[in-house]
Amino acid sequence: MAQVTLQTNGQVCPFPLVEAKDTMASLATGDELVINFDCTQATDAIPRWAAENNYPVTDFSKIGPAEWSITVRKA
Amino acid sequence: MLISGLFVGMALGFVMQRGRFCVTGAFRDVWITRNTRWLTAFLVVVAVQSVGIFALDAAGVISLNSGPFPWLATIVGGFIFGFAIILAGGCATGTYYRAGEGLVGSWLALITYALFAAVMKTGPLSGFNTSMRSVTVEQSNFYSVLNVSPWIFVALLVVGVTLAVRHHLNKPRFKLAAPPASKTGLAHLLFEKPWNAFATAVVIGLIAIAAWPLSWATGREAGLGITTPSSNAVNYLVTGDPELVDWGVLLVAGILVGSYIAAKGSGEFRIRVPDAATVVKSLGGGALMGIGAALAGGCTIGNAMVETAQFSFQGWTALVFMILGTGAGARLTIMNRRSSSGSGPANVPARAAALS
Repeated sequence: MAQVTLQTNGQVCPFPLVEAKDTMASLATGDELVINFDCTQATDAIPRWAAENNYPVTDFSKIGPAEWSITVRKA
Repeated sequence: MLISGLFVGMALGFVMQRGRFCVTGAFRDVWITRNTRWLTAFLVVVAVQSVGIFALDAAGVISLNSGPFPWLATIVGGFIFGFAIILAGGCATGTYYRAGEGLVGSWLALITYALFAAVMKTGPLSGFNTSMRSVTVEQSNFYSVLNVSPWIFVALLVVGVTLAVRHHLNKPRFKLAAPPASKTGLAHLLFEKPWNAFATAVVIGLIAIAAWPLSWATGREAGLGITTPSSNAVNYLVTGDPELVDWGVLLVAGILVGSYIAAKGSGEFRIRVPDAATVVKSLGGGALMGIGAALAGGCTIGNAMVETAQFSFQGWTALVFMILGTGAGARLTIMNRRSSSGSGPANVPARAAALS
């Protein structure tokens, strides 16, 4: 199992999600993708994308003001 | 009474920020992910507002009337505006509330949006704007052309939107992940909990209804509007004429204040400076937003949300062409970028650090 970190800070919606989808496509089943983001709208868009694709969210935390990190497992 | 504009704006900015209510996203999702969840939420606002304003009209509190329909300017302006909000990363209200979240890109888009709205409405391009908008047809709204009661259209819209909401609510429920809660009670609800899109839309619809009689009471006979107030704010700043500070100017100022309070209160405010490419897109997108909204006679709020609730041809035509414009913008910027940057393993190491 590999863990890949995607840094999207500074990018606004929809790019954090666009990049997450692209990176996820390159991962193997069971790999984890850590997405760091600071676009507020992505707090809705990314967990929704994970839920709709049945990707488990193993961690979702607020790191600081307008800064989040979410870990999604490819399943 | 003018001060009520500030409070309505604050409420709107607060609710939009906390509800992540983004019209650009709603239109864009239709093209990129074929998802109509946010577009449906947007139409909930229109339907709720429609019921309220025709009731206010019937009660004699306000009187709704649409002028001739400037079809050419509405089509061209709506398309330009739709394209521009993709570049700017948010429509007019979206740009206002993201500015309140501390996004410097939105500050820049806001400045050129307001400036170019003024250039078009009262500045050097006002002649062009007026001549484009003088191409009109007399018929202005659906119910007067058919000579029927507006309530028929209100009922059709409410039924249609209800069916669409039911379609979305009937989908299997997902448990959405959220960061662990750190607040409780009202503070959790207001400043932490993710809000439901449709509940947010109903609240925005109620705010949009309240805007009518409150604005009317100050002599500004309209509902929510963003473009003309933004243009007035620019004109006020350069002329100092206090007459220009009407209910609408306080409304847009209130959106900034309200979204700042919401973002600050929920730990979502931080000044974020974009990269050079985003700066260029924000400035250009903002300018085109000002030009498009002035031509079309309104932005996603004035036209797509308020004129539509009155069933005017201008509102619905602008809505359709704004959605088409966002489609063109999305194809050029988002999908294009995706294929040019390539997808797959090749581009991962460049942006991501692999750990094992």
